[in-house]
Formats: sequence, structure tokens, C-alpha cells
Amino acid sequence: MSNANHPVSLVSGIVVLGLLAILILGAPFLAPYDPVKQNVTERLEKPSMEHPLGTDRFGRDVLSRTLHGGQTTLISSVVALCAALIIGLFVGLTAGMFHGSIIDIILMRLIDVLLSFPFMVLAMVIAALFGTSLSHLLLAVVAVWWVSFARLTRSVVLHAKNETSFAAARVLGATNGAIIFKELLPKAISPVLILATFELGSLILSIAALSFLGLGSQPPAPEWGSMLADGRDHFMQAPHILIGPALFIFLTVLAFNLIGEGLRDRLDPYEKTEL
Amino acid sequence: MFAARYFGEDTSIMVKKEIETMLQVTNLQVAYKQGRQSVSVLDNLSFGLRQGEILALLGESGSGKSTIAKAVTGLLPPSAHIGGGTMHIGSTLRVDMAVGKGRGKGRGIQWERIRGRGVAMLFQDAQQALNPVLKIGAHFRESLLFHRLASPDEVVPISIRLLSLLGFTDGERILECYPFQLSGGMCQRVCLALALCLKPSVLIADEPTSALDTVSQKEVLDLLKRTQKELGLTVLLITHDIAVANAVSDRVIVLNKGAIEEEGDTRTVFSKPRAAYTRQLLSSRSQIAKPSRERESAHSREPLLEITGLEKTFDGKKRVLHDVNLTLNRKEILGILGGSGSGKSTLARCITGLESPEGGHVIYRGTDICRLRGKGKRGLCKHIQMVFQDARASLNAGRTAMQLVQEPLQYMHIGNKEERETLASFYLHEVGITGDLLKRRPPQLSTGQCQRIAIARALVLRPEVLICDEAVSALDMSVQAQILALLQRLHKQFGFSILMISHDIRVLRSFCHHIAVMNNGSFSEVKRASALLHESKQSYTQLLLKCAGDMEEGLY
Repeated sequence: MSNANHPVSLVSGIVVLGLLAILILGAPFLAPYDPVKQNVTERLEKPSMEHPLGTDRFGRDVLSRTLHGGQTTLISSVVALCAALIIGLFVGLTAGMFHGSIIDIILMRLIDVLLSFPFMVLAMVIAALFGTSLSHLLLAVVAVWWVSFARLTRSVVLHAKNETSFAAARVLGATNGAIIFKELLPKAISPVLILATFELGSLILSIAALSFLGLGSQPPAPEWGSMLADGRDHFMQAPHILIGPALFIFLTVLAFNLIGEGLRDRLDPYEKTEL
Repeated sequence: MFAARYFGEDTSIMVKKEIETMLQVTNLQVAYKQGRQSVSVLDNLSFGLRQGEILALLGESGSGKSTIAKAVTGLLPPSAHIGGGTMHIGSTLRVDMAVGKGRGKGRGIQWERIRGRGVAMLFQDAQQALNPVLKIGAHFRESLLFHRLASPDEVVPISIRLLSLLGFTDGERILECYPFQLSGGMCQRVCLALALCLKPSVLIADEPTSALDTVSQKEVLDLLKRTQKELGLTVLLITHDIAVANAVSDRVIVLNKGAIEEEGDTRTVFSKPRAAYTRQLLSSRSQIAKPSRERESAHSREPLLEITGLEKTFDGKKRVLHDVNLTLNRKEILGILGGSGSGKSTLARCITGLESPEGGHVIYRGTDICRLRGKGKRGLCKHIQMVFQDARASLNAGRTAMQLVQEPLQYMHIGNKEERETLASFYLHEVGITGDLLKRRPPQLSTGQCQRIAIARALVLRPEVLICDEAVSALDMSVQAQILALLQRLHKQFGFSILMISHDIRVLRSFCHHIAVMNNGSFSEVKRASALLHESKQSYTQLLLKCAGDMEEGLY
């Protein structure tokens, strides 16, 4: 059992993420080949000493592409997630704090609209309006992804408002701002962080799906999602080309889950003195 | 024969043959892991429960009485470690508690065979013990069918018979109700019926009436006693309340820090206590009940807070307050007495501005504070402060005692950093929180200490009115006496008025100048505290007094 005294999950999560970051950020020095250089004579080769993870259909080195592609995938998904998280927290706290008011009603209906509107179509609309690029793709992702954080935050806030500490703060003369930042935000942060670690996985896959549709990073730039999509055509003959990006996506999501778990133990004051 | 009427032919469990001891616990050892240390809670504890008796386990918080209940039903949390011990249920079932040693959770014991049929449990909060999304009828169906005690057609008749045994005349209607549609006392009676439908060898009641007001407390205890007599039930009653133990139990075990201080016949233990600890418990109780000498000291007749014609409804239909009129004088201690659902907490919330009433006025120094908005409403907290029942929940768990008491000063922009620290430490010193305790956070403090911090936090703004909403109800008897003495001293020292809300007539009678009795959302009468007993003509007040009196009969 891990707790604040034995932060196993937090430490191991940080170690895994640190190793990933070193590999990915050091890609220009560590990668054995140019990630975009094609070599048609060596296409779909099995893993060997020269190509530890084999080559793809254009003869590009999969290991090199995976390491380089991590920069795009990891940075863009983390940036998008943070943006969505901050917007979600802000909207959720506002809606929860002024529960039942016109602000709450408008925000909640907006959330309903966004939830019922197909995400892919929204991304295509944005691409059609502004042109296809990775930043526009991220814009589309953030525009949709904050909704789950806002919903969660709002429900945590509504729950916290029934607690005695909320009434006590009111009676002691706390302003709305003080209540939001001192009473409600600390309570909302830990469930939202945990949700974030889960959401990161599906976010990476969604970015991948959109890249596959040609809405995100443009070929030949390497990106985990588009590499997976590429591999789909050839995985019967050459399953090894999927191993690189899949393994790295798995490790990234695992690292964030471990960090989320560790943070939860850290942030919850009650865990330490469970009797 | 009575049992046969309710349970059909199979009376083998209810009418036990010659079994002397129904539950025998021997050398039970339980420790809790706390960080890297292990804190021993029960040390080689042994006790026996005779057939057909009510045995009360009496102890204050931290005495390990709930740990016993959890150990016997296999509900200990993962942090608990059972060092050893055996348990015999009836004449046949022997359980080695330390099975699965190392894990400490009694893994390997087939608890589903013991729980329900062998040992049934009654919890403190009955409403939460019931599944909120199932009707009462579904609860009965689930237990009866799971334990194969009835065929599907028999479920309803058996349930109705049991409910009528527990004083429900409209069993059919109750079966169609959801738990939230019943009051706390009714839920506890339903839980008792559910426990009885499994014909348990032993019934464990863990603080079954602590969450109830005096009248429903009396009602549930009377029913428990009556059904126990009629069915020959064996009951282990766990309580912190001497009056509860006194009212129903045949024998009593006094627990202190995981060890048995005294064991014996209830009458004998309470009339001639041998252990010093028992005497201490009894004296802290009579200390609360005893009117203090200075109580009669004159308070001025100058009205400070005047409430007239206050009205409050919830969701547009449920009327909580109706035509409430009350005057609180300067330096007066006014008690508000009422059962649960009488609207006394809503009144407190209206005065502090947490709720807005629909009609009527709350006049404080010439201003109607119900009509205040924004800044004016926030400024009110310098004058009117409140202490809540659940002190721990009212404090933010992440902050230290010092930070907590400085909070209201920060909100009101009073003083600079150093002045705030000085003020906070002064008031914390006044309530007895000093030294090392100042840096601790609520999870590392006892409930009594949390309540002291809550009091300091309320007083640091120097209010003129302090509202105590059941401020001592959740505390142990000895801590109750301490907190009441503290409030009395602070009242003398700082001269604020106190509005003391409680369901406990004992606390109010000793602590207050006047007592207002609240029933169904309005005041039925206001009397001098000392005169309430003799002068009151109101039937509701008489009922409250009688219930409290019956429970304490023979205690002093």
C-alpha cells in the first residue's frame, strides 16, 4: 500500500516520466537515423542490429521516428490537457459556486451542447475554417476536453458546499474568492488531477486519430498517433512497426497514472492519519 | 411461544436450549497501524455475553468499544491488525480471529456465514445503513432470500409481522417507502426489524440511539428492550452514554483505553462504582446536570437580538419555521430545546445569514439583518458567530490551529500579520490550545480540541452573540463538561450573549438562564431554566422532560 510516507507510486511515476523525457528530448542525439529520411530498399524490415525496432513502409527507422515523434505527441497532449484542466476548473468552480444562478445555467447548457456535438466534426470544422495544423487540432481538443473537468469540479463543489466547513467559512465572513480558493479549490484539485491522468491516454489517442484523418501533424513529420495509423495497413506483415509507438504511449500513460495516484495520496490530508 | 407466532415453526434459534454463553470473546488483541508505528487498541480483552441479556459496553471515544464491534463482525479496516483471540458464537461456532495473520483482516474466515445469522449489527446512523435507492421492502427481500429464510411469497407477510412487532401499525406503507422518507428513529426501528428477521444469535448495537433526539431515543430503546425480552434476544450494546446503558442494559462493562475497568450488574455498577474511572465518568455527568452557582447572575434586560414572526419554508412546501418570536438579551445565555426536525438549526442558519427567511424580521441593534446584502451581510460576522456540532468538519483539514484562528481576521482585514498572530495565540491560549498543539492540523487533534479551536475562531472577532448549534452533543461526557465550563468562563470574561441550541435538556438546564422550547418550527414556551421542570404546562416539554428523566432513573 502506498501512502505519503512511502511515496512508491509518485517516485516511480516520476522516474519513468523522467526517463521518457530524456529519451524524447535527447532524440536528436540518441536517435540513430534521420526520422524522415526514406530508404525504399529497406522497407518493412524486421528488428535487427541496425534497426532495433525495424523499419516502416518507407524504410524509415521506427526507433528514430518514435523518439522524435514523442516531442510532438507528448508536448502537444500535455499542453492541451493543462489548458483543458485550467478552463474546466475555472468553469466548474464558477458554476458550482453560483449554483442555480443564470451563470450556472448558461455554462451547464454550453457543456451539454459540447458533449452532444461530435468531437471529430468540430475538429474538422475548425480545420476547414483555419486550415490544417497541429495547433488548430489542439484548439479543437481543448475546446471539447475541458467539459469533463468542469463537470467533475462542479459536482465536487456542490458536494463541498453542503459540508460544515463551507458554512463555517461563510459565518466567519469569507468572501466568495476566499471560499473558492481556500475551501473549494483544494477539494476539487485531487479528483481533477486523477481524472487528468486517465484523460491523458485517451487524449493522446484522439490526437492520433485526428492525425490519421490528416487534421493534425502533417506527414512526413513523425508523431505516435500517425505512426500507429500508418502501421495499421501493414501490421499483418510487419507487426513490429507498432511496438515502438504503442510501448511509448503505454509508458507515458502509466507514468502519468502513477504520478496521479501519488499526488492523490500527497494531497489528501486524511490519508495520513487513517485509524 | 411468542417467537413461534412471528417466525413460524422454526424457533430453534430464537428459543435457545441450555446455552449459557452466546458470545465469548477471549484474549482479543487489535492494533492499528499509524504510519510506521503500531498503536495497540485492545490488549488481551475477554468478555462473555450470556444468553438473553443486554450487555452494555460503556466507554468514551478511543476506548476501543467500536473496535470490538468491528472485530466481532469482521469489519475492521485494512490498517487494523488482529494479534490474536478467539470468538465462540453459540455452542457450535468457534472462530479464530487471527486467521490470515499478517494481513490482519481475518481473511479466510467465512464472515458471510457469521454476519446476519450469527451476529447481526445495528449501526449508529440507520439512515445511512440502509441503501438509499432501495425501498424498505427490497431490504427485507434481500436479507430473507439471501439467507434462505423465506420463499419469495412469504417475504411480505414476514416483513409486515416484524414491522408490527417494532411498533409500525402501517407495515404495508413502510415497505413501499424509501429510507429518506422515514425519520431517523423510524429508520433505526426498520434496521432493528431487518436484523431480527435473520434470527441472529447475537445482536450488536453500536451507538444505536446517539444520532437521535431524546424522544426517539427513548422510543427506540424501549422497543429494543421490549423485543429483547419477548424474543429472548442476546444484545451487545455499545454506547458512550451512561443514561442509555442505565436505561436498558442488564450488565455493563466499563472500558477505558482498551482494557476493562469494571464489570458487573448495571444497578450495582452505577450505584456503587468500584473503579475510579467509573466514578469519574459518573461525576462528569452529574457535573453537567448540576446547575452552576453563578448561573443566576443578573444579565441586563437590554434586548440585543429580536426575532419576530420569522417564516421559512424549504422547496416551497415544507414549512420549517413558522411565526418564530424570540428575544435575546445582552449577556444572556438562552437555550433552545427541541427534537430533530423542530427547526432549531434552521433558525441558527437564518440568524447567521446562511439561509434567508421568507418573512419576519431578525433585528440586531436596530437593523433587520435578514435584509442585509453583500458587504453589510459579511460585516455581520463581526457581531454574530457560530460554533457547529461537528467541530472537525467545520475546520479545514489542511491548516494548522494558528492558521485557522487567523482566518476570520484575514477575511475582515483586521490588523497586520503580527497583530493577527498575537490575537490568535491569545484566544487559543484562552481556550487551552498552547505549545505544540498550535502547529497541529485537525486530523491530528482530538474532537474536543477541534471544538476548542472552533470556539477560539468564533471569538477572535469579539462577537456579541455566539450561537452554539449542538456544540457539545458529539463529545464525550467528560469533554462536554470541560467545554461547557470553558464556555461559561469565556462568557463571564468577555460578556457576550450565547444562544445554545441543543436536544439535551440536561445541558441546557445547567447552562442557560432561560430555555425556549421549540416544536414543529415555532416556540411553544420560554421559561427560566430552573423553573422549566415544575412550571411547564406544555405537553411537549413534559414529554421531553419525562423521556430524559426515565433514562436517568436511578443514576444519581
